[in-house]
Amino acid sequence: MQTNFTPEQLADPRIAEADRILRRCVHCGLCTAVCSTYVVVGDERDSPRGRIYLIKDMFERGRDATREVQHHVDRCLSCLSCMTTCPGGVDYMHLVDHARVHIAETGQRGLKDRLMRRLLAAVVPDPKRFRLALKAAPLGRPFLPIMRRLGLKELAAMLEIAPSTLPPPSRFEGPGTAVPQGERRARVIMLAGCAQQVLRPEINDATIRLLARRGVDVVVANGAGCCGALTHHMGEEEQALTAARRNVDAWTREIERAPVDAIVINASGCGTTVKDYGYMLRLDPAYAEKAKVVSALTKDVTEFVAGYDLGPPKRWSSLRVAYHSACSLQHGQRVTDEPKALLLAAGYTVLDVPEGHICCGSAGTYNIMQPELARELRDRKVKNIKSRKPDVIAAGNIGCIMQIASGTDTPIAHSIELLDWAYGGPVPRGLEALEAFVSDVPQPKRDFKAYISS
Amino acid sequence: MGRAIEAGHDFVQRQSRSSLYDRGRQNRHKNETRMQQKPPDQRACKSRRRGSETMSHIELPAPDSAIVARREAIVADLVALVGAGTVVADEDGRRAFETDALTAYRCMPLAVVLPRTTDEVSRVLRYCYENNVRVVPRGAGTSLCGGALPAEDAIVIGVSKMNRVIEIDYEARFARVEAGITNLAISAAVSERGYFYAPDPSSQLACTLAGNIAMNSGGAHCLKYGVTTNNILGVRMVLITGEVVDIGGAHLDADGYDLLGLVVGSEGQFGIVTEATVRIIRAAEGARPMLIGFGSSEQAGRCVSAIIASGIIPVAIEFMDKPAIDVCESFAHAGYPLDVEALLIVEVEGSEAEIEGFLAQIRDIAAPFGPTHVMISNGPIQSAKIWKGRKSAFGAIGRISDYYCMDGTIPLSRLPQVLTSISAICARHGLKVANIFHAGDGNLHPLILYNANDPAESERAEIAGAEILTLCVEVGGCLTGEHGVGIEKRDLMRVQFSDVDLALQMRIKAAFDPAWLLNPGKVFPLDAAGGGLGQAA
Amino acid sequence: MSEPLRPAADWELASMIASFASRNQPIEIVGNRTKARVGRPMQTAATITTQSLRGIKLYEPTELVMSAQAGTPLAQIEAELAGNRQMLAFEPIDLGPATGGVAGVQSVGGVFAANLSGPRRVTAGAARDHLIGVKGVNGRSEVFKSGGRVMKNVTGYDIARGLAGSWGTLAVMTELTFKVLPWPESATTLVYAGLPDEFAIELLCAAMGTPYEVSGAAHLSAGLSRRLGHSSLAAAGAALTAVRVENFTQSVAYRKQRLADVLSAYGAPIELDYGETLAFWGELRQLRVLSDMPSCLWRISTSPRNGPKVVAAIRRHMTAEAYYDWSGGLVWLEVPASADAGASDIRRAVAVHGGHATLIRADPQVRSSVDVFQPQTPTLERLTRNLKAAFDPQGILNPGRMYAGV
Repeated sequence: MQTNFTPEQLADPRIAEADRILRRCVHCGLCTAVCSTYVVVGDERDSPRGRIYLIKDMFERGRDATREVQHHVDRCLSCLSCMTTCPGGVDYMHLVDHARVHIAETGQRGLKDRLMRRLLAAVVPDPKRFRLALKAAPLGRPFLPIMRRLGLKELAAMLEIAPSTLPPPSRFEGPGTAVPQGERRARVIMLAGCAQQVLRPEINDATIRLLARRGVDVVVANGAGCCGALTHHMGEEEQALTAARRNVDAWTREIERAPVDAIVINASGCGTTVKDYGYMLRLDPAYAEKAKVVSALTKDVTEFVAGYDLGPPKRWSSLRVAYHSACSLQHGQRVTDEPKALLLAAGYTVLDVPEGHICCGSAGTYNIMQPELARELRDRKVKNIKSRKPDVIAAGNIGCIMQIASGTDTPIAHSIELLDWAYGGPVPRGLEALEAFVSDVPQPKRDFKAYISS
Repeated sequence: MGRAIEAGHDFVQRQSRSSLYDRGRQNRHKNETRMQQKPPDQRACKSRRRGSETMSHIELPAPDSAIVARREAIVADLVALVGAGTVVADEDGRRAFETDALTAYRCMPLAVVLPRTTDEVSRVLRYCYENNVRVVPRGAGTSLCGGALPAEDAIVIGVSKMNRVIEIDYEARFARVEAGITNLAISAAVSERGYFYAPDPSSQLACTLAGNIAMNSGGAHCLKYGVTTNNILGVRMVLITGEVVDIGGAHLDADGYDLLGLVVGSEGQFGIVTEATVRIIRAAEGARPMLIGFGSSEQAGRCVSAIIASGIIPVAIEFMDKPAIDVCESFAHAGYPLDVEALLIVEVEGSEAEIEGFLAQIRDIAAPFGPTHVMISNGPIQSAKIWKGRKSAFGAIGRISDYYCMDGTIPLSRLPQVLTSISAICARHGLKVANIFHAGDGNLHPLILYNANDPAESERAEIAGAEILTLCVEVGGCLTGEHGVGIEKRDLMRVQFSDVDLALQMRIKAAFDPAWLLNPGKVFPLDAAGGGLGQAA
Repeated sequence: MSEPLRPAADWELASMIASFASRNQPIEIVGNRTKARVGRPMQTAATITTQSLRGIKLYEPTELVMSAQAGTPLAQIEAELAGNRQMLAFEPIDLGPATGGVAGVQSVGGVFAANLSGPRRVTAGAARDHLIGVKGVNGRSEVFKSGGRVMKNVTGYDIARGLAGSWGTLAVMTELTFKVLPWPESATTLVYAGLPDEFAIELLCAAMGTPYEVSGAAHLSAGLSRRLGHSSLAAAGAALTAVRVENFTQSVAYRKQRLADVLSAYGAPIELDYGETLAFWGELRQLRVLSDMPSCLWRISTSPRNGPKVVAAIRRHMTAEAYYDWSGGLVWLEVPASADAGASDIRRAVAVHGGHATLIRADPQVRSSVDVFQPQTPTLERLTRNLKAAFDPQGILNPGRMYAGV
């Protein structure tokens, strides 16, 4: 597609980057059909192509973000389904990131919107504050109708999504290193995460157990914290970069201390962002190289585990598992087959979900900021999942897990929890009723090698 | 006919040639002017490019300034008719609709309406008819010929929100759908029972049935299953007067004149189709493509003729030349050979045993033409990749360059000659070309590669394109096989048609839309539009 | 009536039309007159026949395309195609025997002007689907062309298709270009005897819903099957339901077997070999079983599964013999002669179930008093008149043949 930037404009590296991305788009429109918002609203402005066009116009004219542009960019889930489909390889992810920064810098958000964003940015990434807030949530629930009537739909959505009970904190919140017994095969850094620790601490426990069984040291680095995705998607560039720098520092220290085989992430939304640190910090001479190293080491937990032979499962079930492919995993990181292959190898019956490329509506804080669209997407996702009649739903991202759980009674767990269960871990929370359908696999008395030699 | 003459008169009011000089002067100052915030109306409706629009040889009809001046009032009326949520009126919103997949041409519409029901379409069209406002219908905006290019004095009516499946009858083998549904979504809706909707344009993931009907879209598999017109049983269409007519239905043939046959391919100039009944076909037991690579395009072309002469009608025979193969392979990793000059993708259908028989037969037929590479798909995953590479070809080319996509059709026997001439034409203009096309039916898609940010090169690309299409007509073919005329090939229509032919077509247009309000400025040369109407009146 | 005029070139035809137009005199347009008894009777000053516009202009077997002048006998075209083992895939119907004429003399122009498609239409498409290019002269005596010789062509409106089925009321086609297809290497037919209409159509729809590319799906009521020339089938004396498979020899053998398995609930079929298959469907193409004068003949087009419902509704009012084709979507219905040929009851039945009915055979008085073609809604009627005016503003070409005043 033709672009119209002046040499002066192109001197700005962000504009030069946007120009490079825009020039690849041929406006063919294939992205519209797979876009999670376009399939729901059928409006060009809420499609990747439409947004690209609006962003192009905004950058070309070098003007402040208008409410209209802001509205349609805000409605983008950053599910990146468009990027999987785009034959031209248009880097929509970074284009929309640039646009969000520009909107944050120049847009005119209402007071309510700004306060809401500031509240989320301050609370969610901080586990302590987040836990407190969730404990307080039930107190606010009786006021839901009033909030809605006052137009505080975001606040109402937040209260609705908040779980009514909170699990106890994880046994292992770090910082520190979980060291397994026996032969040691690898050393990985694990991102302990922020909201996930509070909402479903079992995911980190399951990850550590699963890795430990294979002789992997799991390090939770001192000083690492929220990956910055939440503020990054709000266009709050400085906050996001601060989080990124903090993690790069923490992990670089660990890497310097002893070789690290991977930075393992079990929330794919975070994984997509950490894999992008190299790009986000490319203009920062002090961090560019270190960030690149960090991104190169980063793997989704299933990506990492898939490289290991987990052996035969300890428990065998034929539970029908609907695998919900988190957008950040399938589109953001292009990890599609590994989780399913792992679940299959662990003895589960794995079901693909129709319209699997469409987002569930979680998308970070999207389900709070855009409750109507998020609910429509959630219901569509749940309907598609139910059409496969699963016993349990598996997903690789806490956001999806919370979002889908709010719309169905079918139990849902992280893929890693199901794997850990099959390989000897405890039954995942919420799946207790399914335990009856799972039987222990008789374990051989001797291992194969010993048998041959005897 | 009084209104028709008036409307025709507008058409012949072309932008004055003398202004070219002035615009050229603006060009030299474009950098300075662009830095300023231009008022919206100055940025509107520049064909080709902002700031260098003189490059284009295609003019847009002069807008009706009285209508443009009434924009606010018209928008208010539309909002009253269908509600604010259905009307896009602000500048940014309209901007997103200013072009389709032919981005060289852009024009800000007066307003955009995104109705959800036939009734809303009807109300808006009646309003437009009564107020003499032009209308540009839009599906998904994937037209490669500018079929959905707005006009400054026109309302865009987009049917993308009307995308429901209304009824599926497997026994009678039809599906009734809203016309804004995407092509692929129809097949998806019936695939569970082993059925599909046959026409498969490369944009089938995104393009709407409404757009397919307007352009009579084809695709790779129409060698066996026909194009859109062969697969539509009926439409519900809103005329410009707002009247809703049902043409055809679930039955197989028309009563009276074949209005359906005329509506399909009428480029949105007869009415707005809001619902359609389409034929669904039970899919074959299986299908499998094979790849046959050749050392020259000529051998590949002769092989295609030999396959067809043998009595086998494959479901598809697709052709790619080396530049196209390289790009598509790097995108799809389909296993296309990189050391051949021309590649055929031949797909056959049937049971496993039948497929093997057909493919062996085709292999034998191809042998005398010296194929340097023969590969039969080893299963569904590879087949899907092979087709993904082909169907994403246009977009994938976008990775390396801007392109201008041609769509001429030629008699198959002229293929070697035409390919040689295409290379010569492009070489003469200093441009590269990649050829991808439906070889079974001679439908060529030369992609002329150029730099859209280089005005001189853009102009050369357009000239080369016109020369290629003229060549297609000269050898007995046509300007467009499946994309449509739109704005892009409008001025070439005289290469293929006499004034009498064009005038007849224009009278047919007037039979449906006497005031010429629907999709203005497309299909017919602007001067012919005036003249033709004069004759019709 | 005076001798028909026989233009031998399109310019000659144009000058003839011009001279009638200048006097505002209506003209009858015919080919070989095999369909002259179809449609509303007309009052015309003269007759123009396309008989002298003869000859195949282009035939490219490897491009699957042929062009012929409008007056070329279909028989000549089919013979030429057969020489290359090719055919007109839509299997044109011959109205001759059913309308008191002879078979095998119709012109190619007539076939397309009436959009007459035979049994294979159900998969291969209608005559209109095969017509890709037309040259002709309109009522303004202008020589025009549309389409061309290439299969895929969306350049300008699809006028060729608009002319298919217009019965010479819009323009006189002088040259037609159409798709042809390879003749199948082999064919077979499975015939099921004695099924009531509803079950028969259920069988046909089931057969069409298989992946075996059934290319003929017809059902004859018992009264009609007795008239078949094929001796053993006629002797069965029962309603017959026929399913045809065409392809390469090995595919036919395989598909026939699979089809018989799928349809086993309907009993064991009689199997026709290739020769018998050609004879049986050839007989249907010529509507030989429907030539029982003086009864009236209707052609009803409806959604396939509604065919039996429409016929049952009509049979409450009159006796009727039915030849269902297109898996039930086309019904040729023979009813006793009467003052309105049963039009009111038949059209009411069609109105309930959707579709349309055309009166193909009846006395001229009947054809002038009832609507021969399905009456249209006011809006469609207006479009029809507008279209007529676009081609023939004075209304001199076959005036009133389809609709009064058109």
